[in-house]
Amino acid sequence: MGKQHLVDCLYMKEVKVVAAADPSKKALNKAQALGVANLYTDYAEFLNKEKNNVDAVIISVPNFLHFDAIRLSLESGFNVFTEKPLAVNVQQCKDIVKLVQDSGRKFMVGHNLRFVPAVEKIKADLEKGVIGNLEVATIEEILNGPFSHPRVPAPVADWWFDPQKSGGGALTDLGYHMIDLFNFFTGEDADVIFSDLSYKYNLPVEEGATIVLLTNKSLIRGIINVGWYQKSVFPKYNFRAILHGDAGFLSTDDLVPKKMYSHAAKEGAKNILKRIVGGKVRRLSYTYYWESYYKELALFFECIEKDTEPPTTAVDGLKTVQIIEDAYKLYKNTKGRKNVD
Amino acid sequence: MLTNVSLVKTGTNGRSLKVDVAKALDLIGFTFPPKVNTIIIKLNLCYYWNASTGQTTDPQYVSAVIDHLREIYGDDVEIQLAEADASAMKTKYTFPILGYTTLAEQKKVKLLNLSEDAVQEKEIQVNGSKIALKVPKSLLQSDLFINMPKLKVMRATHISCAMKNLFGAIAYPRKVTYHPQLAETIVAINTVLKPNLNLVDGLVALGRFPVKLNLIMAGTNTFAVDWTAAQIMGYKPSGIKFLKEAIKENLGNPRDIHVVGEKIENFSKDFPTENNFNARLKMGLQLSFIKGYSRIAGDIIPPSLDDA
Repeated sequence: MGKQHLVDCLYMKEVKVVAAADPSKKALNKAQALGVANLYTDYAEFLNKEKNNVDAVIISVPNFLHFDAIRLSLESGFNVFTEKPLAVNVQQCKDIVKLVQDSGRKFMVGHNLRFVPAVEKIKADLEKGVIGNLEVATIEEILNGPFSHPRVPAPVADWWFDPQKSGGGALTDLGYHMIDLFNFFTGEDADVIFSDLSYKYNLPVEEGATIVLLTNKSLIRGIINVGWYQKSVFPKYNFRAILHGDAGFLSTDDLVPKKMYSHAAKEGAKNILKRIVGGKVRRLSYTYYWESYYKELALFFECIEKDTEPPTTAVDGLKTVQIIEDAYKLYKNTKGRKNVD
Repeated sequence: MLTNVSLVKTGTNGRSLKVDVAKALDLIGFTFPPKVNTIIIKLNLCYYWNASTGQTTDPQYVSAVIDHLREIYGDDVEIQLAEADASAMKTKYTFPILGYTTLAEQKKVKLLNLSEDAVQEKEIQVNGSKIALKVPKSLLQSDLFINMPKLKVMRATHISCAMKNLFGAIAYPRKVTYHPQLAETIVAINTVLKPNLNLVDGLVALGRFPVKLNLIMAGTNTFAVDWTAAQIMGYKPSGIKFLKEAIKENLGNPRDIHVVGEKIENFSKDFPTENNFNARLKMGLQLSFIKGYSRIAGDIIPPSLDDA
């Protein structure tokens, strides 16, 4: 994700990328080729040396480094955008919330799925009352997770399968987004009432998870279903959110382009036309899903400029990690079947 | 000298996989060496995908083969299930993920990471190219070496079966570095590694999509197995570069191949053929279009699409 964010920043007129840190020489060479001047192999050194030179940092590191990188960044006075998950456990998340409050800096977590056009649309329709009261949300994402085979092959990093370092498996990786969307749709706090994890891969972390949430106020149920086990390749993207209300339902399946290549051609043609007439190009709209990464970063920088509150906060990240941690505990204590006598 | 390749449709009349394995071996007239101490089975675990995707050897099939071997040699013979690390795959994860750790415990066999094995350095000349290989010694020294590849298509080579599975046995993990000379390297390793037996897993084969072919293939000549496999997957074998090179290196002769058991057509009619040329063209065109569009519109190319 770091490379994606770097490239996105280079296309933002109001942003200048002055420094990058990565332990990989190859990654730094790439950054240099893209015009980044100050390069570091150690993020702590980067944060220390660029303290007076940089307004904001984007953190895209393995999960177990999130807390340390966020803490150092906030203590060094940077505005911070971090990739999800906020951190690998609730305690770290609580500490981050406090650090953010004390720092007075802008802080945003990368909950990019909120900015996918289909999600934005069903959220807007839900708020308009199109489906009446929301009763149940089913939200799922089944794909290849860390097993996505890159064009230039590289093995999956070991930290993915170490729960201490990753925070968990598919539930932490993909479920994090789904839970955040449930919180986003309902706007209420929720408890985990069912949790079933799959360990068919015989790894220390789960490769699949199904959990059920219940909101405290309106008793809205959320069925979250995630998995790493599917060999699916972009442009196929096995994600959907369906909101079931009293007056009707909303589904992202009805809004996502059915033919991704036709969508890409149409959006591409529109952007070329905009470029010709001097209009504003809608970055990455041709890819449909990647546009969300650009949008969230653009919003982060806008919040810094306009001194407004970022749309996805440390508290959002904390709430999500709290649910994940509760789901792990519930599964461990009950093997998932809480209500079975 | 004729070499037999047998094709057996599994599961018909409620037969077990073990019975079908025995049938496939009977059809080629395979005789097991009378006394062996070590048996190595080279699996085909190129990545972390389940056997149902058609990418990796099915543990149920391997289990049936182990049972057959135990019937012949008893419990004292040492059986090892072997695979090497690859550019994007570590056996320490594929073994548990794909069920081989459990299988090894159940069947009291060992798992062997060929990338951690002692190696013999070889330099083989194929088609004017010198290919340096790290060959796992265990494969050279075992009393009985069984190759258990999948039946599947692969863009770079058209087909991946018995010969390509031995490429996967090279101990050096970053095998992607061999890709500029892939056909030559496949032939080179096949001049060094000579399995006693090839047992192809075509239970679920992979073409444009996975398909349950319920096929077992057996053969002692690796080249002959691949020549036959290519026809099942809808390819003209003489158009496949590594098979052409293999003929030049005297690894086999198409005229010597005798297919026994089921007919090739019984499986090829159900195989979802893949047009590699079109697939590669489509991929190349897509990337070219995106690059062209990016230049004209001033838009971003996601690095995950662009990193070649």
